[in-house]
Amino acid sequence: MKQPDANTQASRAASEAKQADILQAIQQGTMPSCIGERLTASREGTAPWIATMTPAELLIARSHGLRPIAAVSATCWMYYGYSWTEGHAQGWQTALERLRDEARVAGANAVVDVKMRTIPIGMEASMDFSLIGTAVKVDGLPPSKDPVIATVPALEFVKLLDADIVPTGIAVGAQYEWISDWRGSVNNLFWVGNTETQVLSGLWERVRREAHAELRRSAQKQGNGALAHINFSQMFEREQGENQPKQYLARHIVIATTVDTPNVVRRAIDGPRHIDLSLTTPRLEQTQGAESSLDFQMVVDLHEGKTPLKRTIQHHQAYALNTQEGAI
Amino acid sequence: MTNELSDHARERLKGLRTSAHSSGVFTSDFSVNEFLLVRKAGFEAIGLCVGSCVYHVGVQYRSWNKNQELDVLSKAMYHARELAMSRMRAEAQSMGADGIVGVKLTIKRLEWDEHLLEFIAIGTGVVHGEGHQGFRAHDGGPFTSDLSGQDFWSLLHAGYRPVEMVMGSCVYHVAHRGMLASIGTSMSNVELENYTAAMYGAREIAIERMQAEAVAAKAEGVVGLDIHEGSHGWQTHVIEFFAVGTAVLPLGQEIAPEKIGDPIMVLSVND
Repeated sequence: MKQPDANTQASRAASEAKQADILQAIQQGTMPSCIGERLTASREGTAPWIATMTPAELLIARSHGLRPIAAVSATCWMYYGYSWTEGHAQGWQTALERLRDEARVAGANAVVDVKMRTIPIGMEASMDFSLIGTAVKVDGLPPSKDPVIATVPALEFVKLLDADIVPTGIAVGAQYEWISDWRGSVNNLFWVGNTETQVLSGLWERVRREAHAELRRSAQKQGNGALAHINFSQMFEREQGENQPKQYLARHIVIATTVDTPNVVRRAIDGPRHIDLSLTTPRLEQTQGAESSLDFQMVVDLHEGKTPLKRTIQHHQAYALNTQEGAI
Repeated sequence: MTNELSDHARERLKGLRTSAHSSGVFTSDFSVNEFLLVRKAGFEAIGLCVGSCVYHVGVQYRSWNKNQELDVLSKAMYHARELAMSRMRAEAQSMGADGIVGVKLTIKRLEWDEHLLEFIAIGTGVVHGEGHQGFRAHDGGPFTSDLSGQDFWSLLHAGYRPVEMVMGSCVYHVAHRGMLASIGTSMSNVELENYTAAMYGAREIAIERMQAEAVAAKAEGVVGLDIHEGSHGWQTHVIEFFAVGTAVLPLGQEIAPEKIGDPIMVLSVND
């Protein structure tokens, strides 16, 4: 094999040094210096800003006094030796903290358009938890000590701000439980006809309730509400060998954008200023008549396919592909 | 004869300015909405521009247990895309286009040879309806952008114009962990710090390279950044991080910022 030239060797050495620096930073919980330098340059305006937002989002962000600074990202690659389910809560939390650190260095007030994603390569019983979003500053505000992290697109971020609601972060509720079916009550149902499989119903009930309770606890630290965009659950059966009961695993993960909402009731009465009512019928207008305070307006959406007017579940792809098995 | 032309005829003649393309016919892959909004933005389609490149990707040996960039592969992926893009741009230039919108950059593997990759760049060349030259890139050639026609319209209304589709590529080898390491961690949930570090390293290189292109294009910022993680038929521990976005400049002289309308916020009741 031909020996690489001097330039190649030098650049390989440089990239090796960079990798060592990154690894050390991760182990010590600090910011890798190459990332710190890029974010500082963007903060000071000596490098171009980078936004993950679409132009429509940029438009609305600018019209609301938001300015993009830099793309920020974070990863935590977890190995599930103990629990797959709890690994998810831990993985997202770590990534979230790292994203906040990057936002702080970028001098941001918020990170918007945070996408949760996973790289589709399975390695051992492990998975990466990655977040990528755009650090923004609000004109006239000093940099925040604790920038808010909004896992919604920039358009929705502004919609929420317009309603006086601040998205603040990510809350995760993750729960699993194994049961052993000692009485064979799941499998010996052939004679019974129509009946509820109470053992499994009960299992799901407990797991999901507990996951939601955990979501509530996790959300409490960051805001006073949670918009749960992701609900993911799986159930498995496991043979234990002869004369052993079958085992069942149920796990449930729920991930939410936490929000800080002032007074829900008052807001509900005010209503949004403009409403898209593509399904409106003349009847509705007649019955509402003159006393209606709502200002209905027909809107034509020119986007192809995914429209920002609709829900944003596609924003999170981490659970779309993940069907591989590992430790619990 | 000083009779005024009818509005319709005038429009039609103006439209035929696009017959700068010798055939007098424009081609595009616009949807109807896209087509309408590009016209609304003051531009006209003149022709589909395409650039292809079939590339033989070299082989690179790597250390089994080391996080490292596979620079031979990075360069291949970058160079091949660059070739496809520049050929597309050359075609646009020969049509007299001011820019290319809706660029789709795709990669295909050719089935009979695992080292052959086919890169295709395709987009619609557009000209400014009144012949304004101010939308061209810093080198006087057409701007390039992966933004759809809708996004193009929105961007102009946000007070920016596209300059260049910028990209950065990094093919990275994620170190394998030894057997001992696997056993040591088998009963607890731990972060695999070397994997995390590999992700950080690769992503950062891709973003930095993209940003460097934006600097070279004298842009103010980059909009619509997306990072694609892909494995183009390589082994499991090899991943490409590909950062792509559109570098933009403020319109400045072209449109006064206060003319940008405030958008109306809409809450959709359809789900």
